[in-house]
Amino acid sequence: MGEVERTFISGLKEELVEEKVIDESQLDPDFAKEIKKYGGKDVMTCLQCGNCTGVCPISLKIDYKTRSIIKYCQFGLKKYTLGTRWVCATCYRCYEHCPADINPAEVMIALRHIAVREGVIPPFIKVAATNLVRYGQSVKPDEEINKIRKELGLGDIHTFNPDFKKVLREISVLVHASKYDKLIGIEDEVKV
Amino acid sequence: MTPYAYFFGCVIPNRYPGVEYAVRWVCGKEGYDMDVKDVPDFSCCPVPGIFYSTDKETWLLLATRNLVLAQDERREILTVCNGCLTSLMKASEYLKDPKSMGKVNRVLAQVGKKYTGVPKKSEGKRKVFEPVSVRHYIEVMANDIGLEAIMAKAKRPLKNIKVAVHYGCHYLRPTESRTIDDPNNPVLLDKIVEACGATSVDYEDKLDCCGAGGGVRSHVVDLANSLTEDKCRNISAVGADCIVTGCPFCLLQFDNAQKAFSKDGIPVMHVSQFQALSMGIDPISLGFDTHHVSAHSLLRKLRGA
Repeated sequence: MGEVERTFISGLKEELVEEKVIDESQLDPDFAKEIKKYGGKDVMTCLQCGNCTGVCPISLKIDYKTRSIIKYCQFGLKKYTLGTRWVCATCYRCYEHCPADINPAEVMIALRHIAVREGVIPPFIKVAATNLVRYGQSVKPDEEINKIRKELGLGDIHTFNPDFKKVLREISVLVHASKYDKLIGIEDEVKV
Repeated sequence: MTPYAYFFGCVIPNRYPGVEYAVRWVCGKEGYDMDVKDVPDFSCCPVPGIFYSTDKETWLLLATRNLVLAQDERREILTVCNGCLTSLMKASEYLKDPKSMGKVNRVLAQVGKKYTGVPKKSEGKRKVFEPVSVRHYIEVMANDIGLEAIMAKAKRPLKNIKVAVHYGCHYLRPTESRTIDDPNNPVLLDKIVEACGATSVDYEDKLDCCGAGGGVRSHVVDLANSLTEDKCRNISAVGADCIVTGCPFCLLQFDNAQKAFSKDGIPVMHVSQFQALSMGIDPISLGFDTHHVSAHSLLRKLRGA
């Protein structure tokens, strides 16, 4: 697990340890508001009880503390939280155990929204979004599996049906209308 | 009888066709002869770990597009996957807010679609609409078909089979809007497995996450696998013959991750495949050859060899 920790925690812990002193210039006073804008609840009402970390399955494996991340959000330490949030499995255990009803998982999701808008876009997001635009599914169709489908007497995957082109066009129109293509950089894939 | 629309999602048709076969078989003439129809225009739900995580606006547009198709067919959506369930159910919740609905409809007009909900009855001149209903296979089986019917159809009860059931997070949580089952002590999947004649064995941390969700599998596979390893250790400790889950993404995770840390592995299957086995299907139709962990040990035990 060593490598995972280096990759995902370095953004937060090591930098904080290295720099030690955080001056005001690094704080973003509107960070809590930004989190709310993307559907998170008010992080300022967090009691820092730590229940969320206690029930987090990821926190058992790597040095990832939900409570700490919420604390950094309260401080407005935006840049330190940019690399840490893609390990949340969105299991929503923290939500069930939060006495302040913050729904930390939704805060993590809001942080992902902020990260992609800051240009932090993990490759798998682009892969899945490209698949959706190309095939109407986030999983790439597999020729071998399609053979097995036929052996079982199941029809072709919808993607291979000529009528499905209409669906793909609709998906492109919607993805373009919400500017998602531009947001994550798949404009070349979207034909409108 | 309630009319349903199949919603298989992405993982089942493209990775585990045997699950699709099993679901169709159980819901079809060989099984409960339910009123359930294919809607060929359904797309990806879309997957919450990608779209709900990065842009809720896009997520809601794409999910509503699917809901409109079910609404126009006047059918309840029958999901076979926890991810599809959580994505579509959440979208249906969001659309209860007239503002969200209006905003979505303004964009959906570009593709000639409009979400209203399903018209139920008229009160005077006013039409009453209900949100599109999104259901999970487990819940439909347990509540609409009923455990007694499952028991009655299990003509080849899977006696002596010890099953470790895995619910998967998004079947249980979040409980913001609606709960299918008790999130702290869920029972429906256990009951279905028992109705098939098998024994559902308890194991430590039964409700823990498989590790795959939220993009963790796609992003940091080692981390996801290490969570699965913990689960499998607890499952091995109670001597389970197989893992049964209601979610194809959990299935995929258990099935793939075990390669990383064990030689043989514990067979893992979808609840529909398990049910079909108890109803006497020929196992060859269940597509176990697309699973990474061989189901041989289980099938051998079933044959009593």
